[in-house]
Amino acid sequence: MNKILFFAHLKDTVGEESIRIDVSGKSVAEVKSYLSDKYQFQKFDTVMTAVNEEFSSDDEIIKAGDEIAFIPPVSGG
Amino acid sequence: MFERYSRQMLFTPIGHDGQEKIRKKHVLMIGAGALGSSNGEILTRAGIGKLTIVDRDYVEASNLQRQQLYTEEDVAQKLPKAIAAEKRLKAINSDVDIAAVVGDANPELLEELVQDVDLILDATDNFETRMAINDIAQKHEVPWIYGACVGSFGMSFTIIPGKTPCLNCLLKSIPIQGMTCDTVGIIAPTVQMVIAHQSAEALKILVEDYDALRNSFVSFDLWRNQYSSIKMSKVKDEGCLSCGTQRTYPYLDKENLMKTSVLCGRDTVQIRPPKKIEINLNELASHLKTLEYEVKGNPYLVSVETGENRLVIFQDGRALIHGTKDLSQARSIYQRILG
Repeated sequence: MNKILFFAHLKDTVGEESIRIDVSGKSVAEVKSYLSDKYQFQKFDTVMTAVNEEFSSDDEIIKAGDEIAFIPPVSGG
Repeated sequence: MFERYSRQMLFTPIGHDGQEKIRKKHVLMIGAGALGSSNGEILTRAGIGKLTIVDRDYVEASNLQRQQLYTEEDVAQKLPKAIAAEKRLKAINSDVDIAAVVGDANPELLEELVQDVDLILDATDNFETRMAINDIAQKHEVPWIYGACVGSFGMSFTIIPGKTPCLNCLLKSIPIQGMTCDTVGIIAPTVQMVIAHQSAEALKILVEDYDALRNSFVSFDLWRNQYSSIKMSKVKDEGCLSCGTQRTYPYLDKENLMKTSVLCGRDTVQIRPPKKIEINLNELASHLKTLEYEVKGNPYLVSVETGENRLVIFQDGRALIHGTKDLSQARSIYQRILG
C-alpha cells in the first residue's frame, strides 16, 4: 500500500490531503498518468514528485510502503 | 558605526565578522514586486554593501495589499517599481548603495548586471526569467535563491553552482500552468513566508556560513496547513544542459526565448512562446471569468480586458496584446495571465 499526498490546489481537486492506494511496481510517470485520468488534473506532467520526502524523477519505480507527494511548481512573486 | 546593526551582530552566527562581510556584499535582485519589496527591505536594513534592483513594471493600486515598499503616492505617479523601491530603501538605510534598473531581465541585461555580484535573489513572477537567472548563475558561479508563491502556497530552494542541483535539473523545461497572482490571487502572509526562507538563506550566504544552508526544497500552504521539506540529493543531473558536464546554457539562447514583436501601426504586440504549447481555451476562459476579468471567447481564442489593454490568446499560446507598443509591458501582461 502507498500513501499519496497532494499539495496546494491539487488537494482541493482531490477533496482530501492524501489517499491510500497500491501503486508499487509502477513508475512515477505511470502513477501521474493514472491520477491525472482519475482526477482530471490539468498540466499534471509538470508537477514535482517526492518519494519518501526525496525529489524523484518520472522513471523512479515505486516500492511497497513508499509515500509519494505531488507538489505543483508556481511562478508568482 | 555598527550600532544600528548591533542586534543582528549579537546573533552568534553573524557577529562582528559576519557584519563586515555583509557590508562588502553585492546582491542582484530580479523583480521588485511582493518578494522584491520585502527581500529588498530586509537586506537593506541588514546593511549589505550594494543592492541592484531590476524591474520592468510600474506601481499599481492592486500591488499595495502586499508590496510593502509602495505607497498610494507611487501609484498616483505611476512610478516604475525599481525607482519607487530605490527611493524608499535609500530612506531606510543610506549606508547601502542602491542601484535601480528599469528594464526586462533578459539574458543580455543579466549578463551585464551579474558582474561582481555575490548573490542573485529571485523575486520575479515567471519561469522564463528564472530559467535565464539559473543559466547566468551557473555560468558565472553565483548562488541564487528561488522563491515563488501564489494564493496561500509558496516555495523556495537555494541553488549553489557546483554543489546543489539547479532549477533546470528539477523542472527540465518551463512549466506552463496558468496559475499566477493575477489569476488565482495571493495573500500577504504567503509572500512573507517565502521571504523568511529566502532572506535567511541570503544572510547565510552573505556571511559565508555555507554549512548552515538548508539544502532541501521547501514548500508550504498557509491556508491548507501543509509544510514539506524535500531532500534533493538524487536530483543533480550530470546531463543537465545548465549545470552538467556538457553545458549549453539553453535559456541564454535567443532561440529558446519568447518571441515578441510590435505589429506595425496597430498599437499591438505579438507574443509567441518558444515552443508550441496547447492551451485549453474553455478552461482558461471560464477560470478568468470567475475573477474580475471581462472575458470573451470562441473556439479559437480568448480575449481578456486588463486595464487599458486587451490580451487575445490563441490555442497555441500565441497572444496579441492590444493597447501597447512596449515589448516588456506586453511580456509582463502575458506572463501575469499565463504564468
